[in-house]
Amino acid sequence: MSVKIEVIEGGIPHQKILIAGLVLAVIGLYLSYLNVLLGTQMFAFFGGLAAIAALVWGSHSIKILASYGIGTGVPSAGMIAFGSGVIAFLFATKFGVLAPIVAIILAAIIGAILGYLANEVLSMHIPVMIKSLTEMAVVGALTLMGFSAMISGSFTFSALTSTPTSVIGKLLAMFLGSPNAATTSFSLYIGGALIATVFLLGAIAIQHGFNACLGPGWKQDRMLMLTAECGFLSMIVAAVMSAALINPAAAILSFIIGLVGWYYTYMKYIELSKRDAASWLDAKPIPEVVEGH
Amino acid sequence: MSALGGPKPAGGSTGIAPVPALVSLVIFVIIFAVMYMFGGSLGMTALIGIVIGGLLIGFGVHFVPVGGAPAAMGQAPGIATGVAMLAAGGGLAGLFGGAWAASQGTVVAVVTGAIGGGLMLAITCFFVNFIYIYGMGIPAASGKVKKDPITGDSQAEYKSQGTEGHGLPFVSFVGGVIGGILGGAGGTLIYLMLLNVYQTSLPGVMKATAAQVAPIAVSLAGMFAIGMFLVIAVLAAYNITGTIEGPHDPKFKRFPRALVASAVASALCGVAAILLVMV
Amino acid sequence: MVDIVFSIGITALAGALATVAGAAEDVESDIGSQGDPNSQVQLAPQMGYIHRIYNKAIAGEPPAWGLWIALGAGIAWAFMVMQLNPILAIVLGAGLATFVQGVYSTTAYLGRTASLSKFGQPVYIDIIKSMTTVTMAHAFVAIFATVTICYLMNAALGHPFPLPLLGLVWGIALGAAGSATGNPYYGKERQYQTQNFGAGVPISASGNIVRYAEAGERNSLDNGFFTAKLGGPASGVCFGLIVFLELWRTVLFENVGAGWGAIIVGVIIILIFTVMDRFIEVWARKNYGPYTKPTEETSS
Repeated sequence: MSVKIEVIEGGIPHQKILIAGLVLAVIGLYLSYLNVLLGTQMFAFFGGLAAIAALVWGSHSIKILASYGIGTGVPSAGMIAFGSGVIAFLFATKFGVLAPIVAIILAAIIGAILGYLANEVLSMHIPVMIKSLTEMAVVGALTLMGFSAMISGSFTFSALTSTPTSVIGKLLAMFLGSPNAATTSFSLYIGGALIATVFLLGAIAIQHGFNACLGPGWKQDRMLMLTAECGFLSMIVAAVMSAALINPAAAILSFIIGLVGWYYTYMKYIELSKRDAASWLDAKPIPEVVEGH
Repeated sequence: MSALGGPKPAGGSTGIAPVPALVSLVIFVIIFAVMYMFGGSLGMTALIGIVIGGLLIGFGVHFVPVGGAPAAMGQAPGIATGVAMLAAGGGLAGLFGGAWAASQGTVVAVVTGAIGGGLMLAITCFFVNFIYIYGMGIPAASGKVKKDPITGDSQAEYKSQGTEGHGLPFVSFVGGVIGGILGGAGGTLIYLMLLNVYQTSLPGVMKATAAQVAPIAVSLAGMFAIGMFLVIAVLAAYNITGTIEGPHDPKFKRFPRALVASAVASALCGVAAILLVMV
Repeated sequence: MVDIVFSIGITALAGALATVAGAAEDVESDIGSQGDPNSQVQLAPQMGYIHRIYNKAIAGEPPAWGLWIALGAGIAWAFMVMQLNPILAIVLGAGLATFVQGVYSTTAYLGRTASLSKFGQPVYIDIIKSMTTVTMAHAFVAIFATVTICYLMNAALGHPFPLPLLGLVWGIALGAAGSATGNPYYGKERQYQTQNFGAGVPISASGNIVRYAEAGERNSLDNGFFTAKLGGPASGVCFGLIVFLELWRTVLFENVGAGWGAIIVGVIIILIFTVMDRFIEVWARKNYGPYTKPTEETSS
């Protein structure tokens, strides 16, 4: 992709996006924790919203990192973000209510060390490398945690025996061969490796905003809107998968919120594309251009 | 990809500066100390295995001949896709085979994984040349060396005008297979080490029998192995700035620093993955 | 014995499905100009060549296909846990994954094209309307076939990985095989049809892609017709062989020599492919000959 990428000018400063993304993601995760406190699953959708907040922030970090030209494609940045994020996330799930905080700290440590390795050991010498990889690891961990909370109703590894409904309990018993052990929806979430799906949902969504909008006419609001759209789209399919693990009402609520959010952001994104496009043609030939051959 | 801006070492600098090397060593030692304190001998063995696996992956990526976007136009030799993901394609196909053979012992499983990765890349590389030769009528030629180091075939006159070479000369093909073998072995080794730790520890942690935690152990180990594989593969791809022709490419000489990075990165990720069930 | 026969049948079925999947995957990505040839579709307007080619840059093919397959597999798995018939579950999973693929395609085209406004590249709505559906159809075939393979591996052959994890592994492998085989054929042979046959595209010609067809202006469906003749089938055979040989050697020889049987067979297969590769390489050198006279000038 031989596109010259310019450094950002104008728009919302990155610092603001960072803080907003981080704070909203943490708030969203803790709102989803109401599930555990109130013994319900209706708040699962907050996990999806938390993940979207993290993704929007992450796509802007990728934009900043990629403006330096990292030599490999933009998608690899999403892969390293989620590769390090999934490790921090899974480790953090042990810590119960503190999980989001532990995930942020651990992901930051892993990301910073990876950034240091890339910059100093591999001699990349990109000024924002350490900061960007730190941010992206945190984004990866928070996104995984958000979608996990949304699909399984909780983000903790320890047995939350109060949450599964009886129907799910029976299914789990069938699936795992015993009704007694490992019967939380989170264990099923891990055991069924739905996390693999969520991993790629996030890894593609985080890089798509920038990858799809790069070019000389890049606009910040359009890219962020697209990332939000990808997030809501992921939320729709995540809600479908969550129907297997949490009660149907909660899954339908997540699905409706995802659908409404997706429709809004998608329409908004088309509008912004229309604003930025050179022209908007339907079944018209290639226009005559003076410098064309 | 040369049109992208940014500072890039010209390929001459292959070594590691002393300070980062020292810092890496310190991080590495700290990680092992933490492991020793909390993990005991089971954790230590697993972590050593994971580091070896990480080294295999990081080294293997350097063998896989990837030309990036120019390769799709026959402008540069190599396979026309991303290096990290191609290595992942081969390595994960190897992991698939290795995980299948997990019950037959570590050695057999790792070798099975290695052959699985090598097989995937052997077939892929063969079809790359097939398309170039029978689909586009273009013979293979390297842009980086005058003679193929294995077969001794001269390369320069088979390079069409205005390009840096195209297709996969024999040395690149062999490099691809070696890369797949190393990636498959490394991925499988990481998976087996983690699987062993989880199968031993999870029943106690979750208060369940081994049969009940089996799906969780397999999924956790598989997911961690894939996550680590991608992290190491991307770091190695950064080291070669995205494209490489194979073991004869001058960029190949940069591998020592990728080994340092892979060792630290795999130890770092490995310690988190093991301590998940140990602390 | 019955077990072996059953497993061989499954292996053959998986190989056949993989061939279909590989072919559909490559044609899908060529219609959408996904993967590395995308760089030229992106570059052309900057060089003054406004075109009507679909430019759906979602990611590299391997990660994108990793997502489609893992998503199809994840949704199918979720429906199976809800006690739905596996075939219906896989169809629903593939359908929803195709929906996601379609949405990603449209946003990628809009985003890339809108960012090229400086060079006067218009957004063609009719491209989105007519091409997206075609790529979605191909994507559905590829996703359904690959998720079915993963299901067969898990349910019939007893692989320990759960369905979504298998989806991730084989999705990335499918994208890697398809993009490696199919990309050059579309990138060189179709996009640069006007350049010399039998030679790489000179770097100076970059961006000058073919924009006109036999009648009117070329669109991406024409590219689909073209690549479906060689690039697609070759990608299909490539992925089909990968899946078939990997399963075949394991199913038949796993219990020979405590696991070493499958390994030895694998080594032999690798050696066969190495010999075949060397053969066609030498064949090409002999039959096509060098471009320039040897010994005169050596490259820098």
